[in-house]
Parts: sequence; structure tokens; C-alpha cells
Amino acid sequence: MKILGIDLGSREVKVLVMENNNIVKKMKVSTISFYRDYCTFDGKITVDLDKLNIDKVDKAVSTGYGKNNTDLNMFIPINEIKAHAYGAIYQTGLKNFILLDVGGQDVKIVKIEKGLITDLELNDKCAASCGRYLENMANVLEVSIDKMSEYYKNPVELNSTCAVFSESELIGKIAEGVTMDRLCAGVNYSLYKRLKPMLTKFKGKKLIVAGGVANNNSIIRYLKKDYDEVISLKEPQFNGAIGCCYYGSKTIKLENIEYSEL
Amino acid sequence: MKKIGLTTTVPIEVLLAAGYEPIDLNNVFITSEDYSKYIDIAEKEGFPKSMCAWIKGIYGACIDNGIKKIVGVMEGDCSNTKALIEVFRLRGINIYPFSFPHSHKKEDIEIEIKKFMNIFNVSYEDIEKVRLRLNKVRELSKEIDRLSYIDNKVSGFENHLYQVSLSDFNGNVDKFERDLKRVISDIKKREPKNMKLRLGFIGVPPMTADIYDYVEKFDASIVYNEVQREFAFPRASKALNIYEQYYDYTYPYDIEFRIAELKRQISERKLDGIIHYTQAFCYRAAEDIILKAKLDIPILNIEGDKLNKLDARTKLRLEAFLDMLLDLKE
Repeated sequence: MKILGIDLGSREVKVLVMENNNIVKKMKVSTISFYRDYCTFDGKITVDLDKLNIDKVDKAVSTGYGKNNTDLNMFIPINEIKAHAYGAIYQTGLKNFILLDVGGQDVKIVKIEKGLITDLELNDKCAASCGRYLENMANVLEVSIDKMSEYYKNPVELNSTCAVFSESELIGKIAEGVTMDRLCAGVNYSLYKRLKPMLTKFKGKKLIVAGGVANNNSIIRYLKKDYDEVISLKEPQFNGAIGCCYYGSKTIKLENIEYSEL
Repeated sequence: MKKIGLTTTVPIEVLLAAGYEPIDLNNVFITSEDYSKYIDIAEKEGFPKSMCAWIKGIYGACIDNGIKKIVGVMEGDCSNTKALIEVFRLRGINIYPFSFPHSHKKEDIEIEIKKFMNIFNVSYEDIEKVRLRLNKVRELSKEIDRLSYIDNKVSGFENHLYQVSLSDFNGNVDKFERDLKRVISDIKKREPKNMKLRLGFIGVPPMTADIYDYVEKFDASIVYNEVQREFAFPRASKALNIYEQYYDYTYPYDIEFRIAELKRQISERKLDGIIHYTQAFCYRAAEDIILKAKLDIPILNIEGDKLNKLDARTKLRLEAFLDMLLDLKE
């Protein structure tokens, strides 16, 4: 049984194929390129699976931001909160946890009890607590985002609420002669500080982190102060796509779509 | 008839035998279009913002409707009720105390009910006569409940309404009996409405009664209203006397006794999930820990405060929960 899952994120589209509940293929494409190079539009968006090098699948499930954006021809769209919940359940085998997903533009916090969503919170109006903020700040510092994520000690204080003002604040600190280590740590800590008020409503023992931020060891280190156990997913950026496949496999009614015939 | 206000369900047989017209102040509060006015009255008196809206609503409903006599439940309800009774007393309202003993022993319940009978000067024979009369009406309410979870012909809201109303029989037993008979004959003519998800609603009756219609949007219906059903005493006909009836009642006693009945109903009604409603600032929210641990069924805890409509956030939570619950049924 072969299932295709696509997670249309704000920065990247994640494509993943599962066969008999095992991941057999995964790829990331920039969102612009995905719509431009891998899709055709004829009233509805149709994904060109040949170009993605994917042949016959039994079921295709999509998720992502906004219902219209994810409504792909022949795909079953599911909401992304559910997709991420299923992804985390598949990847950890756990049924009770708090899931923190920090994506390019949005933050989702989901409480899972007995394998079902019982509470959720999304960021609103502002994306200063998201992955894109880390990217921008790494650019200002002219370090890679991976390098930046290594620093956690003695973070310099960054207080701006706004991600754009934070850049000038950071430049101010550079001008004051603050060391690079502390600047990097400051960026990581400032993201943690923005996540914290959202997380206070979600007390629990286990926190699972998804999205690109799961790769940021410093933020994970800060989060460990607040939870008994913090788990970074093995495939944090593919979690939504994995969830699509897992959902598909749980609810399968074999249709065996011949995509080449479309 | 002389009116007497209730803050929760009490042995109403005693009050009716004594010629009183019992009025459940919860119902007066929540069915009023100006329900928030009642909360305001209490807050102006000094009841804190951080107190259960039911307590404040009951207070406002009592004062605003000129009720001069109240049955004060001193044990078996919450400590907020105790303070409420003290404030009533301060305001010159006559308090007639009743207690559901924590021990939950039959002999202790008998003592309490006998004390209550003495206050109103009624005999055992008087109240048993009333009890048998009321049990006939309770059977009608049970019929509506059966039409809910067996025949699937009753909406969750109707199930709620026609059970919760038995706390005071809407102030007129004969009229209420006629109403129920008419409702039952109407319901029987309906086609069954089979929804994919069967839900239980546990905890105190909601401030937000729109929840019943809201869940139906997601192919779900509430076929069990825990506390409302307890108010309707579905096991009253089996009880040999009034003492047994108020012993076999899960609302005011320990949680283990309550859980045993919940487990029976979960299996009898083939429930897929449970919505556990708690009121903001109520100790019952902590009971959610025990219920989730002891009941092997998905449970969503939602909280109501002062509004009588579900807020956007609670709607989103319900939607996400029911969406995944539906996946389990695929």
C-alpha cells in the first residue's frame, strides 16, 4: 500500500511517500518552485507526479496552510493541525504529549491525550516567533543557521517584540562589541522567550518539537527547563507530510489512483 | 403555593408534601434572556470575578425574583454554595438546611432526610405518596432518554432539557407530566437521526447549551447527559424508599461511585468519546485528572465561564477533537 503525503508550507513543500507504513521517499521543494514547476492549474491545482518521479499511489493526502492552497486535484485535504498530530504519533509511538511545531511562518501548539487533539493554540497576526526570524537573524550575523543554533550560553538580551526591530537591536549589540557567541545565543533565547507565553497554557510532562526549530539545540536546551522530557522528532520538517501518509494509511479505502492517466 | 428556591437537587418529595412550589434557581438563571443581569447583581454585591458563574447567577435569580426561602445544601455540594447560603442568610432569606452526607452511608442519608422531613413537618407516608407520583413522571423522562440513545430520535439538547427540568418539575408536576407525554408522542413520530459519533456529556450542566447543536455539525450527537440524568433519578423506581433513592445518586458523593455509573453508561450507550464540561473556577476541573485516568475513552475537557455561547477557541478545540474521533470510526 503506497501513500503520498504533501505538506505545503510557507517556505517549502514537503513530499513524502510511505509504503506499508515505511517512508520510502522524501523530498523538499521551495514553495514557489512547487507551484510553478510541478503543478498545472485547470480550475484546480494538479500535481505532476511524473516530474516528482512518483508513480502509482493508492492514496494521496495533502495538508498545509489554508484550505484552498491545499485543495489539490485527486488529493484528500486534511487540516495541518491534525496532520502534525498524526505525524508526531507515528514518529514517536506516543499518545499523550504536547506538540510544538515551529514552522517558517507559524507556530502550532497541540495537546494530545489518548491519541486525540484536546487543545491547540496558533500564533496570530505576527510571525516573530517562527523559523523565518532565525533565518533573518542568521543573515544579519552572517553565520549559517546551523552554526547559530549551537550557542546558548550567556545570551545577550534582545527585547523587541517585532522581528524587524530585532534586527536593528541586534546590530546595536554588534556595535557595542558583544561577542558573536552571545549574539547567537541571544537570538536563540529571544525565540524561546516568544514561545514561552504560548506554552504556559500547555503544561505537561513530554514536549515533542517539530518544524525546523527542532534542529536548534539551544532552543531545545532552554525548553528542557520547562518539561520533564523534550523530544526532537527524527524528521521534524517532514512531520506534516508523514502525518498525511499515516492518516491515509489509517483511513484507507483503496482507490488505486492511476496518476499517469490523469 | 409557597415558593421555595433550590440551589441544587434535593429531596423534592419533602417540599411537595409540605405544599411548597420548589423553584430550581439554576433553571431560572440559565433560561432567562437576561441571565447576565443576574451575574451582575451578584458581582455588585461583591461576589468575586473569580467565582463560578452558577453561584452568582443563582444569587441574582433569587434576589431579583423575590424568593424568600431557600433550601441550603450544606454538604455534598461545593464550598462556594456554603458561602452563598451564608450571604443569603445575611440578606434575610430563610434557609432550610439539607445535607448529602459525605460518608455516603444509607443510615446517614436516612438521618438527614428525616431531619429535613421534621423541618417541614411531613410524615414518611406523605413523602412516599409524593415519590410514587413523581416516579411516574420520572419514567416519562427515562422514556425520552431511551428514545435518545436507543432510537436516536432525540437531539442532545432535548435530552438535556427534559432531564434537567426534573430538579423542580418546572414548578408544576401535573403540567410537566402532560408536556412530557406530548413531547414523547411527537418524538416517536420522528425518523431516527443516526450520527456517526456518539458522545457523552459529563460534568455539571453547561452554561453553553449551544454545544448540543454545535457537535451535530460534525456528525456527532450527545446521547448521554450524565448529571442531568442523575437529576432525573432514572433508578428511582427500583429504590425501595426515599432513602435508597437518594443513596443511589451519583452527583453529591465520592467520585468512585460516580465512575462506576459512568462506566456502565459508556458501554450501554456505546459512546465514542466524552466531553467533560467544567465551570471556570470550579474544583471539579481537578476531577478531570481522575476521570481521564479511570475511563478508557477519549475525553475532551472544556470550560465555560459567564457566556451562554461557546467561544471561538472552544469551538476550534471541539472541531479538532471530533475530527480525529471521526477518523477512528473510518
